Amino acid sequence: MTFFKLARRNAWRKPLRTMLLVFCVGVAFLIYGLTASFRSGSQGSDGASENLLGVVNKAGRAQPLPLAYMNKIAADKDVAALAYMARMRGFVGAEKNVVVTSAVDPRLIAGVNGKELGLTRELLAGLDQARDRVLVGKALAEAQGWSVGQRIGVTAFQMTKTDGGRDWSFEISGVFNGADASTDTYFMIARYDYVNAVRARDKDTADAFIVLPREMVSPGLLASRIDSLFANSAAPTKTQSEKQFLEAFIRQFADIGLIVNLVVGAAFATILMIVINTMVFAIRERTFEIGVLKTLGFSRSHIMVLIVSETMLIFVTGGMIGLALTKLATVFAGPAFGLVFTPVVLVKAIIIIVVLGLVTGILPAFNAMRMPIINAFRSR
Amino acid sequence: MTITTQEEPYIELNGVRKGFKFGTEGISIFSDLNLSIARGDFVAVMGPSGSGKSTLLNILSGIDSPDAGKVRIGKSHLDRMGESARSSWRAHNMGIVFQFYNLLPMLNTAQNVELPLLLKPLTRKQRSARVDTVLDLVGLNGRQKQYPNRMSGGQQQRVGIARAIVTDPGLLLCDEPTGDLDRKSANDILEMLGFLNRELNKTIVMVTHDPEAARFARRTLHLDKGTFIEQGMDSQ
Repeated sequence: MTFFKLARRNAWRKPLRTMLLVFCVGVAFLIYGLTASFRSGSQGSDGASENLLGVVNKAGRAQPLPLAYMNKIAADKDVAALAYMARMRGFVGAEKNVVVTSAVDPRLIAGVNGKELGLTRELLAGLDQARDRVLVGKALAEAQGWSVGQRIGVTAFQMTKTDGGRDWSFEISGVFNGADASTDTYFMIARYDYVNAVRARDKDTADAFIVLPREMVSPGLLASRIDSLFANSAAPTKTQSEKQFLEAFIRQFADIGLIVNLVVGAAFATILMIVINTMVFAIRERTFEIGVLKTLGFSRSHIMVLIVSETMLIFVTGGMIGLALTKLATVFAGPAFGLVFTPVVLVKAIIIIVVLGLVTGILPAFNAMRMPIINAFRSR
Repeated sequence: MTITTQEEPYIELNGVRKGFKFGTEGISIFSDLNLSIARGDFVAVMGPSGSGKSTLLNILSGIDSPDAGKVRIGKSHLDRMGESARSSWRAHNMGIVFQFYNLLPMLNTAQNVELPLLLKPLTRKQRSARVDTVLDLVGLNGRQKQYPNRMSGGQQQRVGIARAIVTDPGLLLCDEPTGDLDRKSANDILEMLGFLNRELNKTIVMVTHDPEAARFARRTLHLDKGTFIEQGMDSQ
């Protein structure tokens, strides 16, 4: 027998109570795992770059910027690469089946974040072969059931064509995977020259410029320098990092970070109270036995270790079950919901497991530790 | 020339004072208690309820400390030790046998006996060998996997004795070890204590109400109102 086995025997002396505690902890870590995976996934902002800058119209993202801004921005010596983009929002089939198409110069976008998006030379070459070809992100292709070579129709919400219609037809020339699971691939890349030629309004404009700063250059400083270039123009700009942009975008719907923190905080606070309360009672029931152990020579620190090990066991078992379920959820439903179970999420969860295990164990352990043997023997 | 040596007592209590407070009222248990017990002795302590028998045992085991006076066992001065030092002392020098056995219900016989060995730097194999040896000694060989709730009172007390002696302590304190047993089981247990005293030279201090049990001891001390009023020498 070992100390750990003794703690395990203590924990399992009332199996139903222990299983319910493990279940509570498991649910709490499932909630934590899913929300943290959401934040680190393509739907959240944790996976977004803090280095890549986006230049948009200060008046709002719906207002375009003249393409001529390109040369002014490119003239800055701290700009390593630059691309422009016109964004077309539309739907396929049912109106709620929204898809986003970014019309770009393929060579320029590949220079800015081609690696992150997984734009290979073959994919770019395929796009070159016809103006109405598109590259589809993996998540979007999987969600829509699209395959390479298929022709698809997208009805734009606002971007009308020169013939007055809003129905755009594209041929899928390839699927880009993204560098890792946290990269947003729920969109299509079309050729700007084609979209710009066919659209009826806002010709030769861009919805955003994407700027890659040189190494060692502060993105914040470069952003303010770019904005100052156009401060007195007809269309002033607002330059933000991709992460800031995404956070601001998500915050239009809800402050996801705050909601996640509140939900997880409430879950953990509840679990903490349940486990502490249960453990205090469980230890109180065993006051006499703790007196016996002390009489046998178990010191205060031995008692402390024994009780904290017991709560740690409950938290580690429950936590691991919760995280395993999270992993399963990200494997089976991850692409559709943008859930990514990253090593960072795992490490944070392990730290929380250890901290909560210690915190919940310390109060009952402290009580047991301080209990004089004489008083413990009077408890029977 | 004849040289006579008088061996130093193994247990020595000098001027021990102990009292308790109940609300504003103070109750004195011992005002000046003195006691000497030689190594290898088997002493029964008898006395009416409230005479201080349990308090004496608590002081001897270091789970309670005197208000004043000296308590020495072997070379250890318990009255000068802090709580953690006394815990460590108990783990290495003393075994205790309780009236109601006080075995942990979720552990089997072998695990209950092994408990005090967790505090010693022994390998699993060494611990297991010691457990088997003492279970053999108390006649419970083959019952290693049995749980306390499946055992009779006498068997549970044997496990309690095995647990008390597994660390091979010099001193065995017994708190009414036969108080919960029928006569036959009680005699078996007392025989066993006698054996441990005679053959393994364990010093035993046994608190009991039972004059029959006291007969198994080498000496009987009568405690009344915090004082030993009579010290008799009984032969086994």
